[in-house]
Amino acid sequence: MPKRIVIIGAHAAGVDAASAARKTDRAAEITLITKQKKAGYSPCGLPFVLGGHIPSFDKLVVFPPPYFQMMKLNLMLETKATNIDVENKTVEVQDKDGKNQTLEYDSLILATGASPFIPPIKGREKPGIHVLRTIEDGEKIDQAIRNGAKSAIIMGAGLIGIETAVALQERGLKTTVVELLPQILPAMLDADMAKEVQKMLEQKGINIMVNKGVEEFLGEEKVTGIIAGGEQLNADLIIAAFGVRANTELAKKAGITIGETRGIKTNLRMETNVKDVYAAGDCAESINLITKRPTLSQLGTTAVRQAKVAGTNAAGGYAVFPGVLGSAVTKLFEMEVGATGLTEFFARKAGLEVVTGTITSKTRPDYYPGGKSIKIKLVVERESERVIGAQIIGGEEVTQRINAISIGIQKQITVRELAKADTAYAPPLNETWEPMVLAAQIALRKL
Amino acid sequence: MVKVDSYEVPEGLYYTKDFEWLKIEGDKVRVGITDYAQKQLREIVYVELPSPGSTVKQNEPYGTVESVKSVSDLVAAVSGTVEEVNEEVQSTPEILNQDPYGKGWLLVIKPSNLEEELKNIMNFNQAVEWHKSLVKKG
Repeated sequence: MPKRIVIIGAHAAGVDAASAARKTDRAAEITLITKQKKAGYSPCGLPFVLGGHIPSFDKLVVFPPPYFQMMKLNLMLETKATNIDVENKTVEVQDKDGKNQTLEYDSLILATGASPFIPPIKGREKPGIHVLRTIEDGEKIDQAIRNGAKSAIIMGAGLIGIETAVALQERGLKTTVVELLPQILPAMLDADMAKEVQKMLEQKGINIMVNKGVEEFLGEEKVTGIIAGGEQLNADLIIAAFGVRANTELAKKAGITIGETRGIKTNLRMETNVKDVYAAGDCAESINLITKRPTLSQLGTTAVRQAKVAGTNAAGGYAVFPGVLGSAVTKLFEMEVGATGLTEFFARKAGLEVVTGTITSKTRPDYYPGGKSIKIKLVVERESERVIGAQIIGGEEVTQRINAISIGIQKQITVRELAKADTAYAPPLNETWEPMVLAAQIALRKL
Repeated sequence: MVKVDSYEVPEGLYYTKDFEWLKIEGDKVRVGITDYAQKQLREIVYVELPSPGSTVKQNEPYGTVESVKSVSDLVAAVSGTVEEVNEEVQSTPEILNQDPYGKGWLLVIKPSNLEEELKNIMNFNQAVEWHKSLVKKG
């Protein structure tokens, strides 16, 4: 009898897990369940549709229905998993008409994702608070703009909040970002680097208010404003980007262990404490490669990398997930922003003593037209002299520098080694002295 | 040739709903995968094909094509005996992405029941309509 693999969730993690499972076992019966109307799309692209860089939300579908047919994957759309019975190895599902069905599995993969959350703020039950997580969420915001929304408040200055703010500013809305912490992009950048990004965003016209907690949602029939830091702010669009929480209700109910990060705990093969039940994506914990502690990465790359491991193992293969550095990049107007490993702030919070090296350089020699400014900050652990983090902001070529440093960190590169890196050079492409090498030289002097 | 969305559907070929094309060449047929299939699969990394002399049966898998993001069975468009196998596509699978209807052909088959079996697969006009429905679904 073919192996039955059931996957709850059908986006990045779910579909990639299915693909890995299919590659491992050509005969397995693989079923994906999703509550949503569409499967296999990229939520990471949502702000860029809103900003007008991608012509429509439909374009975000990476895996259209025929893909599932080609891969012989059974896709159940608009179907909700309601219960997991780990003893009898079954999943109960309910379709949109309320019809129940019980699916038997040999292996189960939880790719249930995460959901936006709104902290317990007065008035949060009022309708009209937008979030940006699904295509439907994106369409609602887009519709509001088409209906004439002229101003927006975004609560939260993480990646999603800032990307959304840029998109709305690009669409011509008067946009305000409200952040509780003293800086924007707090998970990605240190305050000194974040300040530069904030300055650029303000020059583009976005109003950024840091150190301001949201105290109340205002409005009668729907939310029309907020009180933040004692000040009343009104806008046509109110968007919550406080962050997301791992969707773990089903897992909890089934007795699957949830970790200290509130994500599903797994072993190195992405298997939960329950045999034959795996987890991957935004609902699952990872191990941070530097702190060796659990972390909730909740990035698209982490999702697909975990999913490949979960899918392979669920289908009877063997694969191990090494952990994460949290490498991330984005593009805000013309500025590229990237980071990998720990920031100085998080390194110190983890108890590490660090030195840093920061340099502002150009992406091409001065004599070659078109060079752009690039700023690199390296974080180095004092005793081992290892590079443990990097943040880069600049006009171009940020992604591959982040990738290079990320690989270096994975290979436990020391700052001395990075300072002697054998880098490439040609005037139209970069400078003779690679900026990340210069940043390493600066950090080295402080050791 | 017609383009449905960004997918090429050349005239003069037959098509199956398993994303294969078939071209009649005298008493033989040449088969491969469609442009739609290669675009869905993306970067193809491995192609597994039968040896010359083996037989294939309509609607039954005869090989696999694996890409970075997926793996898919190759399902025979018609029954018959394999006369030629494209070795180039096995050693350089990216040809399948570059030229699915040309250099990326997979097999030449001597069909055993062509006339009957052609009734089960799509002609050009039907294939165009089918591609339109695929795009709409996507």
